Amino acid sequence: MEKLLTLWHGSGLYNLNLGQAAMILVGLVLLYLAIRKKFEPLLLVPIGFGGILANIPEAGLALSALDQAIEVARPAVLQQLATALGASLDPAADAETWRQTLKGLTQDGAAPETLRAARDVAVGVGYGEGMLYSFYTVAIASGIAPLVIFMGVGAMTDFGPLLANPRTLFLGAAAQFGIFATLFGAVGLSALGVMDFSLNQAAAIGIIGGADGPTSIYVSSVLAPELLGAIAVAAYAYMALVPLIQPPIMKLLTSKREREITMTQLRPVSKLEKVVFPIAILLLVAFFLPDAAPLLGMFCFGNLMRECGVVERLSDTAQNALINIVTIFLGLSVGSKLMADSFLALETLGILGLGIVAFGIGTAAGVLMAKLMNAMSKMPINPLIGAAGVSAVPMAARVANKVGLESNPHNFLLMHAMGPNVAGVIGSAVAAGVMIKYLG
Amino acid sequence: MQDTQLLNEGLALMGVGMGFVFVFLTLLVIVTTLMSKTVGRFFPEPVAPQAPIRGRAGAPAGQDDDVMVAITAAVHHYRRRHRR
Repeated sequence: MEKLLTLWHGSGLYNLNLGQAAMILVGLVLLYLAIRKKFEPLLLVPIGFGGILANIPEAGLALSALDQAIEVARPAVLQQLATALGASLDPAADAETWRQTLKGLTQDGAAPETLRAARDVAVGVGYGEGMLYSFYTVAIASGIAPLVIFMGVGAMTDFGPLLANPRTLFLGAAAQFGIFATLFGAVGLSALGVMDFSLNQAAAIGIIGGADGPTSIYVSSVLAPELLGAIAVAAYAYMALVPLIQPPIMKLLTSKREREITMTQLRPVSKLEKVVFPIAILLLVAFFLPDAAPLLGMFCFGNLMRECGVVERLSDTAQNALINIVTIFLGLSVGSKLMADSFLALETLGILGLGIVAFGIGTAAGVLMAKLMNAMSKMPINPLIGAAGVSAVPMAARVANKVGLESNPHNFLLMHAMGPNVAGVIGSAVAAGVMIKYLG
Repeated sequence: MQDTQLLNEGLALMGVGMGFVFVFLTLLVIVTTLMSKTVGRFFPEPVAPQAPIRGRAGAPAGQDDDVMVAITAAVHHYRRRHRR
């Protein structure tokens, strides 16, 4: 009978708490959105599944060795941990209270040496880092996974349309207004006392408006790792919603006449230009904004491999096999951040709300900038392509093309919209660099 | 009081950030335009049509006409079906 009881006490069902149950439900919803609704399935499937794995009670897959020991170890081990942390446990209290006390001790900025000592104790009695925790450490905490993905994106990007009409870079710049307006919105919410975001957190939330998954993850891993789960989920979910969010805003800000504007055909771009361009970006970054060097450096490297034409195999790996492998680990690592205590908070709702505002403002700013450029230059510019300035490659460009076709079935804007689209990728990476420089 | 400080910092970051993004991309526009001009002037593409012309001359002329007929018919058919 006692054996049975032990088994029952060790079961997931016995140990499941409300938060974990809710998070498993969130994971299932993400899986549903990915599988049935086809919302960015390449990322939401790993993220959703990782979220479920991270919330399996007692398994501690997303916990470090120390946290795991605190969570499940025997009372004797807890005493040892307390000694290592330089505290004593109230002998009258029960083990649950001890665990709470120890958790508090590790979270409230204990000195690194004492934390390391406590970790050694935990490892010494046989606890190891959880699988997802290890993935997170390697893939995201080090910053590697988003950067490798950025290299792959670079290898997939064709700068031809941008080179044929470099002024579309301005559209990519204007659309980044969404990032900074949202940052200000997040700070404003804190000032009003509705939410409680620090400036770093506000910046990480704002970058959702860049509509660029890897950039969002990179910035929040540097500036606000505690919000990473919510930010990544918001970024990818809204990227999937681009075809729903953008068209109403685009139609609201343009007249039918403007949407019908046909653009002159793009000039052909020589191979040499395409080879020199990534190097030119790299030099500019090196001279003016070294903090954007990790992101844009990898991006340019990927693009150079594509365009130089002598390393087909490397370029092929970067844009296929490698990016797929890294995406799996990136998704699982993001999922590991979907833990109840950090995700089930009012802040998450705030992030989701601000994220959609960021997208909307970015789209509007891009469209308005395109209208301005159309008014000022001799060459006609269809304002719809401004909306593609929020990156979300190539979805945003396709949306611009589709809305354009609705007004004029013979007006193909896709190639024209790819220019601002890739400009948006550069723009949000630059914005990320500025934020990291300012706050990091 | 702390709130206004936070707001001010947010506003400052917004100004600096947006300004810098614009400056950087403006520079990139200038550099790109100059680069394209230079490349176009000093390293012009070898006149592209040469090779394709030779290839096309090699193909039998009759086949070319057949292809044209097929394409015209297909376009015609498509336009008829997709009118309105």
